[in-house]
Amino acid sequence: MSDIILKLNNATKLYAGVPAIENIDFELRRGEIHALVGENGAGKSTLTKVMAGVVMLTSGTMEVSGVAAAPRTPLEARHLGIAMVFQENSLVPTMTVAQNLFLGQEKFYNRLRGIYIAAQQFLQSLNFDVTPTATVGLLGAAKKQMVEIARAVLHNARVIIFDEPTASLTPEEKKYFFDLVRDLKRRGVSIVFISHALEEALILADRITILRDGKHVVTDDAAKFDRARIVQAMVGRDLSNTLYGTRKTTVRPAGARVLTVQNLKMAPMVRNNSLSVFAGQITGVFGLVGAGRTETFKVVAGVMKRDFFHGGEVILHGKPVRYRVPAPAVRAGIAYVTEDRKVEGFFETMSVARNIYLGLLAKLPGGRFFLSRREADKVGSGWVERLKVRSTGNAMKVVELSGGNQQKVVIAKSLVQDPDLIIFDEPTRGVDVGAIVEIHELIQRLADEGKAVVVISSYLPEIMALSDRILVSRQGKVVEEFSALEATEEKIMYAAVH
Amino acid sequence: MIAALRAFTDRLLGRGDATITVPSFDGALKPNQILANAETVGQFEAPEDLATDGNALYLADGNTLRRLDGVTITEVRRFDRAITALCCLPDGGIAVALDGREVKVFASAEAADAAVTFSGSGMNAVNALSPGPGKTLIATDGSATRPYSQWVHDLMERGRSGRVLALDRASGQVRTIASGLRHAFGACVAGEEIFASESWRHRVIAISADGSQRPVLDNLPVYPSRLSAASTGGFWLTAFAARTQLVEFVLRENAYRRRMMAEIDPEYWIAPKLKSNQSFLEPMQGAHIKTMGVVKPWAPPRSYGLVIRLSASGVPLYALHSRVDGVNHGVVAAVERGGALYAIAKGPGRLLRLPLAAIETELLR
Repeated sequence: MSDIILKLNNATKLYAGVPAIENIDFELRRGEIHALVGENGAGKSTLTKVMAGVVMLTSGTMEVSGVAAAPRTPLEARHLGIAMVFQENSLVPTMTVAQNLFLGQEKFYNRLRGIYIAAQQFLQSLNFDVTPTATVGLLGAAKKQMVEIARAVLHNARVIIFDEPTASLTPEEKKYFFDLVRDLKRRGVSIVFISHALEEALILADRITILRDGKHVVTDDAAKFDRARIVQAMVGRDLSNTLYGTRKTTVRPAGARVLTVQNLKMAPMVRNNSLSVFAGQITGVFGLVGAGRTETFKVVAGVMKRDFFHGGEVILHGKPVRYRVPAPAVRAGIAYVTEDRKVEGFFETMSVARNIYLGLLAKLPGGRFFLSRREADKVGSGWVERLKVRSTGNAMKVVELSGGNQQKVVIAKSLVQDPDLIIFDEPTRGVDVGAIVEIHELIQRLADEGKAVVVISSYLPEIMALSDRILVSRQGKVVEEFSALEATEEKIMYAAVH
Repeated sequence: MIAALRAFTDRLLGRGDATITVPSFDGALKPNQILANAETVGQFEAPEDLATDGNALYLADGNTLRRLDGVTITEVRRFDRAITALCCLPDGGIAVALDGREVKVFASAEAADAAVTFSGSGMNAVNALSPGPGKTLIATDGSATRPYSQWVHDLMERGRSGRVLALDRASGQVRTIASGLRHAFGACVAGEEIFASESWRHRVIAISADGSQRPVLDNLPVYPSRLSAASTGGFWLTAFAARTQLVEFVLRENAYRRRMMAEIDPEYWIAPKLKSNQSFLEPMQGAHIKTMGVVKPWAPPRSYGLVIRLSASGVPLYALHSRVDGVNHGVVAAVERGGALYAIAKGPGRLLRLPLAAIETELLR
């Protein structure tokens, strides 16, 4: 019997013609723990989704135990013995542990007592301390993970894939989780796990694979890695990538302090976070997924609420503010350009002009009773021209625009409010190269005009190219600050994962 | 009734005045070790204030006025009381505040008798002097209830009796420019306005000729103190301690604070200090200070050293730090002379010297 249980050859997956992974060769040995490491967007999730049948390869092949396989659905992957435990777990919160375990395997006649007994026996065999009659919604993060793992083992999974399994666990729960994974390994189960915490990869894994920009960089025994080698492999980009320009030689001096966040708390994502934002500067905020960057600035913009008790302070222009909804924040001069434009950014079936006009209406206290189509067209045309939105006219629906032009509409919707503080959350995600350059120019121009600009990005070259000062966020708080002149990709990544 | 209800809910929810938060040292205030690594020019018994006439540097050391010419330190004169503030005047004169209650102006540092003496007018804790417009002298009086040496009592009593005074050398009159300040500590003329530090409100305010005030720099993570002019425009602002959440918490707990003040030696109060780590009796800071036996520079500070360089409009440009693991704490005065910055670290009793060209090359590149 071959030692390789799962193999991918020349695996390539394209999304709208853009490769998420490209020509990746990957081998998973029987009974090994294999860590997948890489920056956000490196292709880790896509690779594991291919294995789990969530997405299919555009080209390349996959073999399970030496036999060619191409699972089209997670169910097909499960039949091949591959199960995936997602970051946001897929359990039904209102059902009990036992019901979740046997979900999809119900018989014609089901007896609760029967499945409770079966679940109890099964959980005991795994040595999992979970009550089968407990409602899943009331369980802690670690126990939910256990139920997910138990479900995977129950389905005779020979390969279990974990996507960021420890992100929501406490240190004690993490230790328990590591023991569980080692126990699964002893049972001959192969584990693939994605982690941003490099210590976990070094401690737990037998082998580590590092991906970068959708390409395979290196696979080696974990013992042959140290933190420095992993970080170097994660960020050592192809220098021919000139989109983000050369290294900065000057930075804009800080103006007056516009925003101060003091000891902000929003459990579990934002933990005692403190930072300042200054006028006339671009403040870049870097961090890996789950670092609490978006949540911090959503609290500032009134999109989310801080903790009810001792949630900290947000001070705008020297005055403490507490926005429960975005409207007063908009009126106070805060604009938040969302990272998820399709859900939060615009009304896709409305016209470009009307979307931009909505931004203006949000600034007016109480809105406006009579709306003027002429005013909407005038405002829309002005911003379409200023931001070079490529559309066939004001009446064109936003859904018909390209990603880059949709993003420009979202930005225009915020800029029409004439804000003092503009927060760009992943401003060039899913945007074509030409639009990236234009959006970057716009952001630079806003800072030159004296606005306080925040750019949240998971893409290091973007942060390096735009920022005058760089804040690095980890586990819900800002942990390091660099001037753009002193920052290097290695330094930033080290602060983000250390 | 509504105010009482609001105060109760604020305390319960940790909001409004009951928010116990402290801003971070970021932006221009990003920590470094420059002040901690500064050259020590001399060690003194009780250094308090600095002044320069452009050539020599004058140092108030307890009752003694000293002069630094080049590398030589000489005693100029002694007073019968401690000098609490010092400044050189444009006409070559020198002004000293004695015990915080009296201000004497001499025609020169060596002049036998004072040309003008200001006393009375409620002066109680004069802690800084600065040349004002014309023949005036600007003074800050920290507290009307506590002497200068008891500044920590004033903080714990949440004192709000600080004043900025204009002392007219021609007429001998004392005029109050601003009052009701929460420990005024340091002032400097800035164009048509006067910048003054308000320590317990952690801010610098600008006072205009008509007496109106506006914040220039507020919500600082430190307790600001004396201001002096920088040679290339702008100011040097010193800070004698950093704020912590623990002290902010104690300041909001009235019953606890009163009992602490009544029963505990002030040395061991939960309050900012000019130097720390001197005794095991010092209260904990709300987080551990050492890791593997080494003091963490980022631990909650009981004492701290900071000098901030401000632009002419009061925007911080950069800062020089002596962090928790350093000793140059309790910085109360800084003046620029001959391309170097001289600062007093009152905690260890040191006069420090920092070459500015090298610092600005490092911090403003």
